[in-house]
Amino acid sequence: MIAAPILTLRDAARHYPSGDTLVRALDGVSFNIYPGELVGILGPSGSGKSTLLLIAGLLEPPSAGEVHIRGKCVSHPGMDLDQMRHFRRNNIGFVFQKANLIPFLTAVENVALALHIDDVPARAARSYAAHLLASLDLAHRVDSIPSRLSGGEQQRVAVARALATDPGLILADEPTAALDSVRGRQVIGLFRQIADERKAGVLVVTHDPRTLDLFDRTIEMNDGRIVG
Amino acid sequence: MNLALKDIRHNAVRFLLTVTGVAFLITASIGMVGLYRGIVSDALLIIEEVGADLWVVQGGRAGPFSESSAISAELDRRVEGVAGVASARRFVQVSQQFDHGGRQLRAALVGVDYPEDAGQWTHLIQGRPLASGHFEAIADEAVGLSLGDRIRLGQEDYTIVGLTRGMVDMSGDGLLLVSVNDALAIAQRRTSEEVLLARSAGGRAPAAPSGGSSVRQDSKIAAVLVTLDPAADPEAVRRTILRWGDANVLSKAEQAGLLLDQRLWRLRVQILAFTAVLLLVMTIVISLIIYMLTMEKVHEIALLKLMGARNTLIIGMIAQQSFLIGAAALGLGLVLAQGIFPHFPRKVAIDPGDIAMLGGAVALVCGFASLIGISRAMKVRAQEVLS
Repeated sequence: MIAAPILTLRDAARHYPSGDTLVRALDGVSFNIYPGELVGILGPSGSGKSTLLLIAGLLEPPSAGEVHIRGKCVSHPGMDLDQMRHFRRNNIGFVFQKANLIPFLTAVENVALALHIDDVPARAARSYAAHLLASLDLAHRVDSIPSRLSGGEQQRVAVARALATDPGLILADEPTAALDSVRGRQVIGLFRQIADERKAGVLVVTHDPRTLDLFDRTIEMNDGRIVG
Repeated sequence: MNLALKDIRHNAVRFLLTVTGVAFLITASIGMVGLYRGIVSDALLIIEEVGADLWVVQGGRAGPFSESSAISAELDRRVEGVAGVASARRFVQVSQQFDHGGRQLRAALVGVDYPEDAGQWTHLIQGRPLASGHFEAIADEAVGLSLGDRIRLGQEDYTIVGLTRGMVDMSGDGLLLVSVNDALAIAQRRTSEEVLLARSAGGRAPAAPSGGSSVRQDSKIAAVLVTLDPAADPEAVRRTILRWGDANVLSKAEQAGLLLDQRLWRLRVQILAFTAVLLLVMTIVISLIIYMLTMEKVHEIALLKLMGARNTLIIGMIAQQSFLIGAAALGLGLVLAQGIFPHFPRKVAIDPGDIAMLGGAVALVCGFASLIGISRAMKVRAQEVLS
């Protein structure tokens, strides 16, 4: 039996006016992401990859089409996505090109913050955050502030934070862009592990051809459309 | 997890510098209000402490503090004869500058009616009240004299027999108490030339013109201090004395009112205006600080929104930082005020009620500053994390 998709985009489009012309940043994109699947989004700059991530992550509403998560329509044109914060918190984890850690919190506090926002008691949040960091080989760095972590360590803390609320969908925007090839492969390997072990759907925007063998499939985009 | 405290701990030096800057503004505000309180306290000191129920002063005038007042040195005897008057004491106060040990000193020379008034009402910290009607003085430490010092006033030497603390007039000059007769002698000191001129005039005219006054100018006092019998009707006593025509009667409350609402009115308004300006500057400074702190955290705020944080978490972080800056600055400002102002030449009275009001004002300022920061934070969009 095939599992239901975790993320579905149906004819998702994002258009915005620029002077006298209409820019079609995303132009009728449809696809599914299934639990346990690691999917790469490829394409040149300006092909619509980041716009796709914004719409899939409920950060921008589509101009047309719908976004479904776990079978539920969660975004459509004109929707006020500020109301979706609670849903986003429990269903979507984000990882970015930059780790985007809060500079005045330690590694464990950065991860525990995601749980604190979700009303998990402080002691339990810290304990689970420390456990997550240990599982990513960062047990010795739990009390370090971000400025004392290497780029790779910061990115692993960001991954731990994205995993803290156990979301069904992980969205990553060029997470290896700032890392060398070894550490970049380690991070994509981590997503592979997350997809396999946690059965999360993981959608990764990437430019890095060296890690493509780790993806289940890739979606290639150009001019706001899926081309392959 | 308290994000405000963690941010402060991470940027402790910046927080301390911010708090120190705001604390100095608060210290200045405390100083302005305290200076006003000090001036009022000094101005009312004699009125409050001398123990007079009524002040009999020159007719048609509101002396001796708000206006000059000159009455006959014998008026006390008339006042003593009024029904309901328990005692009447003569009083005179003049500014005096004199040389002592090569230093020019200033004092508010107060003449008290020894032996009825030996200066027991003063705040003696050393020595004793007056024990003689002549050549003894009680000085406030602000004058700069020590117990046992001998000073030359007029034609005579006076010995300091008592020292007081905190007894100054409204201009900050320390009080120098002598008997009223000595005070009159000191005030009427004439140069040899004046005496010669008076003699050459054959006694036809006084050295100082009387200005048509019925009272001899060289025997005038400023006021008669009246203590009433416990059962006396102050209004009846007042009406009796006012009927004489040459004297005015002021109660203790009226003297205080004249000082605060007329003599010191402009000073009060000016100090309050300065305090308002300081509060405005403080509002602008704290608002700017909170706005800048919020601007610095736009990325973190966007991240919090992306992670699904409720607005209350973000609002709490901004408001807590604002109020922590205000509270810490108020505490430090108070400590600085208590450490600095006692060394100022004029009294700066730190009143708990004023501090409570200033605390309220600081809270309002912090609340306003928070609103500015919060309004900026609410405009941050989650997708700004990607920018």
